[in-house]
Amino acid sequence: MIERELTVSNRLGLHARATAKLVQVLSAFRSTVTLTAKGREVNAKSIMGVMLLAAGQGTTVKLRVEGEDEAQAADAAIALFDRRFDEDS
Amino acid sequence: MRQTFFGHGASRGSALGRARVRLPHALEVAEEHIAPEQVESELQRLHAAIDTVRAEMHALRERLHGALAHEVGEFLDLHALLLDDPELLQGLDKLIRSGRYAADYALRLQRDRIAAVFEAMDDAYFRSRVDDIDQVIGRIHAALHRHDGDMQGVAGEILVADNVAPAELAQLQAQGVMAIVTAAGSALSHSAILARSLHLPLVVGAAQALQKINDGDVLTVDGASGTIVVEPNADDLRAHRGRMREHARERKQLHRLRREPTRTLDGIDIKLYANAESRDDVAEAHALGTAGVGLYRTEFLFLQRSELPTEEEQFRAYRDVVLGMTGRSVTIRTLDLGADKADRTGLALRDEPNPALGLRGVRLSLARDGLLETQLRALLRASGYGPLRILVPMVSSREEIKRVRALLDRVAADLRREGHEIADQVPLGAMIEVPAAAIALPSFIGAIDFLSIGTNDLVQYLLAADRNNEALGELYTPLHPAVLRLIRDVIRLARARGKSVAVCGEMAGDPSFAPLLLALGLEEFSLHPATLLELRRAIRGLDLSTLRARAPALLRAGDRQGIEDWLRKAGAAS
Repeated sequence: MIERELTVSNRLGLHARATAKLVQVLSAFRSTVTLTAKGREVNAKSIMGVMLLAAGQGTTVKLRVEGEDEAQAADAAIALFDRRFDEDS
Repeated sequence: MRQTFFGHGASRGSALGRARVRLPHALEVAEEHIAPEQVESELQRLHAAIDTVRAEMHALRERLHGALAHEVGEFLDLHALLLDDPELLQGLDKLIRSGRYAADYALRLQRDRIAAVFEAMDDAYFRSRVDDIDQVIGRIHAALHRHDGDMQGVAGEILVADNVAPAELAQLQAQGVMAIVTAAGSALSHSAILARSLHLPLVVGAAQALQKINDGDVLTVDGASGTIVVEPNADDLRAHRGRMREHARERKQLHRLRREPTRTLDGIDIKLYANAESRDDVAEAHALGTAGVGLYRTEFLFLQRSELPTEEEQFRAYRDVVLGMTGRSVTIRTLDLGADKADRTGLALRDEPNPALGLRGVRLSLARDGLLETQLRALLRASGYGPLRILVPMVSSREEIKRVRALLDRVAADLRREGHEIADQVPLGAMIEVPAAAIALPSFIGAIDFLSIGTNDLVQYLLAADRNNEALGELYTPLHPAVLRLIRDVIRLARARGKSVAVCGEMAGDPSFAPLLLALGLEEFSLHPATLLELRRAIRGLDLSTLRARAPALLRAGDRQGIEDWLRKAGAAS
């Protein structure tokens, strides 16, 4: 199991487009991926779940990945956060 | 009893029909349980409905093209993901399996659970995403009922709803809805833009209407004035029929204009070209009697895929446009993409802090090995099939034009050596959309054959006003003295040097701006085929010499108000 603390640093936060991107990226992996913030844990492969976090800019979320391809799945998720979801600004 | 309501007219047209009221979150279903042996069939019923909605969304995506596809596409992508959402589907499964709820009621429960969380959020943006979930759940619900066959279509009815999603509009129209009235919404929304292009009457912001109108009430809707009359009397019906006759006359008159020239009152022929990016656009433009295609966008070949289009694929696409125009001029623009759309191409572009000021258009084409060369090869090969011109976007200096010209010459020599049949002359043009290019035009006009002014970006860069930034309100406008002067200068220089010059931004497609552009010296417009006949009609009612005589007064106008006053007078005088 891999656990990492990540910060939502893109301007719009985990809004629809960013969430869609995260879900699309993670769906390629078999591992279970969850995000925890503000006391709520959600399935990171669910657009509805991630949006329910209402994680705006500056929010810290905990990423947890578990499964056979957990290293790759975690890398992919972390890279997306690092790239600020390829947002325009 | 007769009642009148007012909203904002968002899409013109009149309709008479019965109201179909859709209350917000219209999932008013009674609690219903199923027997244990019904669980599997109920789950099947639900998944069949979800499959139906998925197919509908796919079909809508296929039908949309152009700018609309990009805008509505984002909603569709989000809705498609929601439709496959594991949490949503598992939640429904559980409600049906363990709770023994009927699919309808399971949807209702699930919707309410999710909505409760969303509605408690502080952030207005996240809170409003409940609309997307409602829209998706609402569509699954509707599909469930269609399977039962007990839900009547909306054919001949007027939908009165809280709001409509862009993705729904095309489908509602296909189902035969006559008009739409919404309590929320703005005339500038994606839905409004889509309604206008579908010629579907739409009134938005009629909050009272939703509260007071009942299912089955007879209504007249006037999409121009935003007026809704419930239980219309004889006078209202006469007025409605008058409006319908007026529309029919207008449509007929417009239709007749297909074969008429675009000639001003004083006998000057103005050239109307079409902006296009699909075979349908080209066919429509041809039927409307355009002078040709003035701006053929090539981005669609590069979007939504992970590898670059091959020379052969591009060649076939360009050749088909040339063939489709049967000898009329076709201007094809080289790739106009930047980092804002990077995630939907195989170009592997880096994220940029400000894509509008970044590596885009010709800058990108020149920065990537082989990108422009492949496109130019394909374009030149297509030039063997009819008159073709190449237009370069986002030019800001002579250097860029020189590099494109040098590559074009080299590629032409290669192709001839390889035995390809290509045109002797393929004119190369520059888009004037960066203010620097407009100001420095004397330094490179000798190196190009024609010009096209892209007003959307020119206005944005000249006024330092992001056109997508709603907070700027009316700051983004072509009705600014600096914009008019720059356009005038570009047209004047082009004409003095004998180069053709067109305006191809949204400004060209708005008939109300025609007097202004004609006064500034413009004689070529390139616009979306949807408003081509309206522009032709407007131009046929204008006197060019009068407008040109009044140009000095237009250029003296110091602000938007002054320019609008000038436009009003110019319109009234003709």
